Amino acid sequence: MNSREQAATRRGAPARWWRAHRWALGQSLLRLRERPLGTALTVAVMGLALALPLSFYLVQINLDRLGQALGAQQALNVFLKQDQTQAQAEALARTLRADPAVAAVTLKSPAAGLSELAALQGFGPALAALPNNPLPWVLVLRPRATAAPAAVRALATRLRGNSAVALVQDQAPLRARMDALTGFGRRVMQVLGALLALAAVLVVGASVRSDIQSRVDEIHVLQLVGASAAFVRRPYLYAGFWLGLLSGAVAVIVVLLLELLLAAPAARLDASWGGRLHFAALDATPLLVLLVCAAMLGWLGARMASARHLAAAEPN
Amino acid sequence: MLCGLVQDQDDVPVIRFEQVSKRYPGNANALEALSFALAPAEMAFVTGHSGAGKSTLLKLIGLLERPSHGAVTVAGRNLAQMRQRGIAQHRRMIGMVFQDHHLLLDRSVQANVELPLVVAGMPAEERAKRARAALEKVGLGGMEQRLPVRLSTGEQQRVGIARAIVARPAVLLADEPTGNLDPHLAVEIMGLFAEFQAIGTTVLVATHDLVLIKRIRKRVLVLDHGRLVDDVPATEVAA
Ligand SMILES: Nc1ncnc2c1ncn2[C@@H]1O[C@H](COP(=O)(O)OP(=O)(O)O)[C@@H](O)[C@H]1O
Ligand SMILES: [Mg+2]
Repeated sequence: MNSREQAATRRGAPARWWRAHRWALGQSLLRLRERPLGTALTVAVMGLALALPLSFYLVQINLDRLGQALGAQQALNVFLKQDQTQAQAEALARTLRADPAVAAVTLKSPAAGLSELAALQGFGPALAALPNNPLPWVLVLRPRATAAPAAVRALATRLRGNSAVALVQDQAPLRARMDALTGFGRRVMQVLGALLALAAVLVVGASVRSDIQSRVDEIHVLQLVGASAAFVRRPYLYAGFWLGLLSGAVAVIVVLLLELLLAAPAARLDASWGGRLHFAALDATPLLVLLVCAAMLGWLGARMASARHLAAAEPN
Repeated sequence: MLCGLVQDQDDVPVIRFEQVSKRYPGNANALEALSFALAPAEMAFVTGHSGAGKSTLLKLIGLLERPSHGAVTVAGRNLAQMRQRGIAQHRRMIGMVFQDHHLLLDRSVQANVELPLVVAGMPAEERAKRARAALEKVGLGGMEQRLPVRLSTGEQQRVGIARAIVARPAVLLADEPTGNLDPHLAVEIMGLFAEFQAIGTTVLVATHDLVLIKRIRKRVLVLDHGRLVDDVPATEVAA
């Protein structure tokens, strides 16, 4: 090689790098196409394995929303006795507003309560038939977010002892149970999600391993003509990347179909709860994150398989 | 003073064996205490009976095997110290023709011949041009798109030769490259190797074809049971 050729070689380094990658890219696609059944099977299995964590995530965000919807009812509903007047109700409200555990107190008049009831399906005619309003004054008491649950419970107990109060409705214990349940469900989903991601890595790894094993001769020849370990490995890494990306796309499609299938029943469920549930679909971010993660998992699986099996193919 | 230390480039051997022995597990020594050197642009034959150690000698140079004892030096570098990346670089400066051709049977002739150029990162058009030229040289012009499985053994061997020369390596190693060729073609291939020698390539050919050796008249290393029993300079090869 003369000095001019050497200079050209040095200048050509990025171009060589790019050509090597382009070659590996082409080879990786060829490989997937050469084994359509194996590729389809791998993508299907890995896609379903990834669809599950994504569906879990969908369920989880909806459980969280459900929890929030119920949390809105965390308020203490304080029903006063029938004989309590507006002035007495307002006086009680004022003293309660001074309580450090209380964020806000709203007064609900018997008339307001009646029209609320009337708005609920089917109650209208029955209420119209009543000779006079049977509803008492109600204080809707919203505790501070920072208030300890024990303080709220103590307040409820104190109110129950108040002679003006007929009934105290406390949603807090229900809320606590709900939180415990969603927390447990979230942990189960995280563990299952991690296991399924691991399964996806293994699926791609197995696919790449069998690809490598069926190409020992080719790998050998590449090594004999001076291919570096990185050069030999690259097409398999790309193949893993593609398998991961395709699987991610399958998972996204599966979850979108799932959402489509569940849309109608979810809407009916929501309607039966007076539209308070607000079921949510996944937005673009988790779907994109899944695609990226899937591609990375595929690459990782290929990397693990090739590290072990290419070393074994090197002529000693 | 410095000038006295700097050797003339031509004096540094490209290939040097120093007391090299190779023992395969469970066998007697395939090579024993072998020492010789090849100068740049030198061409030599390695000959000897079957099992004499010819292939083993070439494999040690190509780092397909490691010596059990002694040192093999190529272009001034001791092969024993080479690891992964070094091995790949080393093989890129060597063209190897194998006894069993080592072709990819499901790739076209052209794709096979281009492989060393792909590894070297050469652009596709240039690769194709060089592969065509190499195939032309071994008498396979026009066969670029054939699959090796559709070729005769002799043609497959010539594809292997084209692949070995396509990257214009500094060292050319050939293990019985003419074993499946008719005498006329064998002479032509040897002429091709001599051409490479003429442009500076160091060439080492293992063969047991004495007729060919006598015709080509290059240095001859004679092996017998892994020992170097004769080293005949080109000038002394009887016609
Ligand atoms: N991979 C191997 N494993 C064990 N023994 C081998 C191996 N390769 C060659 N040999 C032995 O080493 C000796 C030299 O073989 P080889 O170098 O192939 O000789 P040649 O090429 O001159 O016929 C022979 O006895 C052969 O049986
Ligand atoms: Mg041999």
